Amino acid sequence: MNSYILKNARVIDPGRNIDTKGDIGVDQDGRFAEPAALAGAQVIDLEGKVVAPGFIDVHVHLRHPGNTLAETIATGTAAAAAGGFTSIVAMPNTKPAADTVGSIELFHRLVSQDAVVRVLPCGCMTVGLAGEEMAPIGSLKSAGVVALSDDGKCIQDHALMRRIVEYAKAFELPIMDHCEEYKLAEGGVMHEGKWSVLLGMNGIPAAAEEIIIARNIIFARQIDWKIHMQHVSTAGSVKLLRAARAEGVKVTGEATPHHLTLTDECIKKFDTNYKMNPPLRSEEDRLALIEGVADDTITVIATDHAPHTRTAKEVEFDYAPCGIIGLETAFSVCYTELVKKGVISLPRLIGKMTTGPADVLGIKAYDMAPGKAADFVVLDPEAAYVIDKNTFKSKSRNTPFDGREVCGKVMMTAVGGKIVHQA
Amino acid sequence: MQWTRKDLLSLYDLSGDEITYILDTAEEFKKVSERRVKKVPALRGKTVVNFFVEPSTRTRVSFELAEQRLSADIVNMQAQASSLLKGETLLDTVKNIEALQVDLVVMRHSAPGAQAFIAQHLSCGVVNAGDGAHSHPTQALLDIFTIREKKGRVAGLNVTIVGDIIHSRVARSNIWGLLKLGANVTVAGPATMVPKEFESIGVRVCHNLKDALKDADVVNMLRIQRERQTAGFFPSTGEYAKFFGLNPATMKYLKPDALVMHPGPINRDVELTGDIADGPNSVILEQVTNGLAIRMAVLYLVGCVKK
Amino acid sequence: MIDTAGNPAVFFNRPAGKLFKKGSCRFEKREGKMDNTLNMLCSSSEVQGAVRQLAADIFKLISSSSGECALVGIHQQGVPLACAIKEVLEKEFKCSPDLGTLDISMYRDDIGNRSRLPLIRETSIPFDVNDKLIILVDDVLSSGRTIRAALDALTDYGRPRLIRLAVLVDRGEPEFPIRADFVGFNLTVPAGHKIKVLFAGDSSEEPGIYDMKWQK
Repeated sequence: MNSYILKNARVIDPGRNIDTKGDIGVDQDGRFAEPAALAGAQVIDLEGKVVAPGFIDVHVHLRHPGNTLAETIATGTAAAAAGGFTSIVAMPNTKPAADTVGSIELFHRLVSQDAVVRVLPCGCMTVGLAGEEMAPIGSLKSAGVVALSDDGKCIQDHALMRRIVEYAKAFELPIMDHCEEYKLAEGGVMHEGKWSVLLGMNGIPAAAEEIIIARNIIFARQIDWKIHMQHVSTAGSVKLLRAARAEGVKVTGEATPHHLTLTDECIKKFDTNYKMNPPLRSEEDRLALIEGVADDTITVIATDHAPHTRTAKEVEFDYAPCGIIGLETAFSVCYTELVKKGVISLPRLIGKMTTGPADVLGIKAYDMAPGKAADFVVLDPEAAYVIDKNTFKSKSRNTPFDGREVCGKVMMTAVGGKIVHQA
Repeated sequence: MQWTRKDLLSLYDLSGDEITYILDTAEEFKKVSERRVKKVPALRGKTVVNFFVEPSTRTRVSFELAEQRLSADIVNMQAQASSLLKGETLLDTVKNIEALQVDLVVMRHSAPGAQAFIAQHLSCGVVNAGDGAHSHPTQALLDIFTIREKKGRVAGLNVTIVGDIIHSRVARSNIWGLLKLGANVTVAGPATMVPKEFESIGVRVCHNLKDALKDADVVNMLRIQRERQTAGFFPSTGEYAKFFGLNPATMKYLKPDALVMHPGPINRDVELTGDIADGPNSVILEQVTNGLAIRMAVLYLVGCVKK
Repeated sequence: MIDTAGNPAVFFNRPAGKLFKKGSCRFEKREGKMDNTLNMLCSSSEVQGAVRQLAADIFKLISSSSGECALVGIHQQGVPLACAIKEVLEKEFKCSPDLGTLDISMYRDDIGNRSRLPLIRETSIPFDVNDKLIILVDDVLSSGRTIRAALDALTDYGRPRLIRLAVLVDRGEPEFPIRADFVGFNLTVPAGHKIKVLFAGDSSEEPGIYDMKWQK
């Protein structure tokens, strides 16, 4: 490939604490390089634009293998590229689940054929995500998984969870946990609160999440190992996390763009694109989550990209599957709601989409230093547009953000110097 | 005002004027059932499908009779939500029904919002005959009609609803309808079944029957489902009856002319004792009679408006 | 039920009481707009004369027939007209027939073609119609469809011995084989126009009979 220079951009590189106007070079091997060293390189003028490290999403459902009607590795990674993500962590609840060396090997093969961004497999904690029997964690590590999760499910057996954290620590695999106590959440389809009461829907109380967050904090402290709380959604969870992190416990938390911007009130029209797990919470919870983002209790923005076909979502609210897609809207929605509204600066938002998730995965020094693989994104913070789901690269359309006016657009995405998306 | 809606989904959607309009229309339809010929040709040539995805006897019979008295052609369909899940989707099922040139679909479903969901996709009218714990507009309308008929007004009355409020579509629909017409609403029952969240819309929440009944002009005793006991919402029907049932002792908390209502079917000696159900304050059977008039009015309005 | 005894001897006055529901609108506007200009066809004194004549003719029929008689006004404007006729019958002919009101909404043949439904008004037949002489009263006989519906409605209450029709205005263009037995005025207006009868209190306009153009 030809080398090129990104000129006149605002370079934001949270890993090196850089926010300055300047140039970034990409050499023939697809690595970042000093522009001065690239004689005769093509010049791309990015006046008014921002260049940043490629985003990392630690929470993506690619549905491949198993439900390729909803998404495939090809369409899911194209969606990731369109959203500025250069690395995504694929959740293991595929069919078959990513709980054996064989399924990871198959996944690697599919990824090498179809993916346009880096796809990092995540392995199951328990066999078949059933919460009963420990998955072959060591073998999964050897096969290349970067983390462990039973996302979509939660291990209810606390003793088993404790063993898994202990065992995973020895293999240096971070745990990413979907926090949900089943008995409390049983039958629930939305947040338990004013709107579930008014709508007559079964509620999922905040306590269902908070009890498991508290459990995980206890194990993380006791075992001194990393537990990442997926899609944190309640004020109580934020409070627990804040205290634990202040104490030095190795816990992190992620927030999704939808939990930061939408609430349970959205459900009053029974649109299944507002059904997710954990559910959209109350306005108080949403504000607490934003506060957690602002004070770095929450260090990661993750999408929980969960594609479902129109057929699957076009049913009664009670019977609809949980989840929405998010890769292609995450940056714009967060930029509009968090940066434009003054909650955090653009460099900090980028940090929560780059260094924050890298830290969860144990990736050290995720930045644009010369010599590193040129995974980067070009953003236009001033571009305003209306989200149109029909332009999505994802195979699914289940988004509550269709028609929303947003600001901040992903203009270009490159993986290893190769441009994989251009607006 | 004039009626323009093709669906009746929930009283939350309606204005106070629209609710009054239905009640006024029902007054004329009530007389039809008192005539020599208990039938009018308002829905002649129109086809109504009663689609019940949850078992029901009373509501279905009431709707069927109302449809017959309006001269509609009727088809009854029953399905289990579970079997729908496995096979055809609900939307495909109702679209198939509509393709048979049906004019109205009266639907009951166990999932909240199911009717609102299908109404968005159908051009024929949709009447909600109960959706989970969300809404049961015709039941609330008949309750409010009965109150207005007996008390001459709704605004300013103190109406207390007792029982399993959290699982009750009857309670929710009554609350919206009564609030929109200016009544003061109290909900009462065990704390596990009467959540405080109702206070956010101006409803008084009470866990003590004496407080709930004092000053009440109307008390609506909801049916208690025995499966709530196994789910741990209350210890036993005996204890429920003792603390939240109407019996000669708790009747004393009520004003002498208070109305006693029940949406049926009654668990005698649980929600209220037999003597009270059959006593002078009870308007339980009048509710049933009025249900017919309300359903005729609703079917006439949504069935006759130009689609 | 309908007590007009306390009212002054002006037939335009509407009877108070249950006949008219609170909040009811006086005009059914349908989908069109009414032209602002109303052309008066008959003055209120001409109308009063016609009502007297109608009452006199009806009295002739009543006195020549055996059995009881009732006036049944069709909503809306047939009702005040029936009241007015009854008042003249009482005052000038010492004849006091029963009075009923009929709303034909449930019997219309254009049900389902209207995007707005006006409120159904009170049908009140507080007497046994079997074997009675019934005078149906409406303000304007136009297509005859209202009368067709009214006959269906009325016969659902029983089997009258004789039904006759009294109207203030006959437009003379029936679409059904229906004719009035008692007619105040025979008036013709161009197609697309409506004949509107206004009684005292109906609007700010002077009472009388008007020609009104519908604007789509």
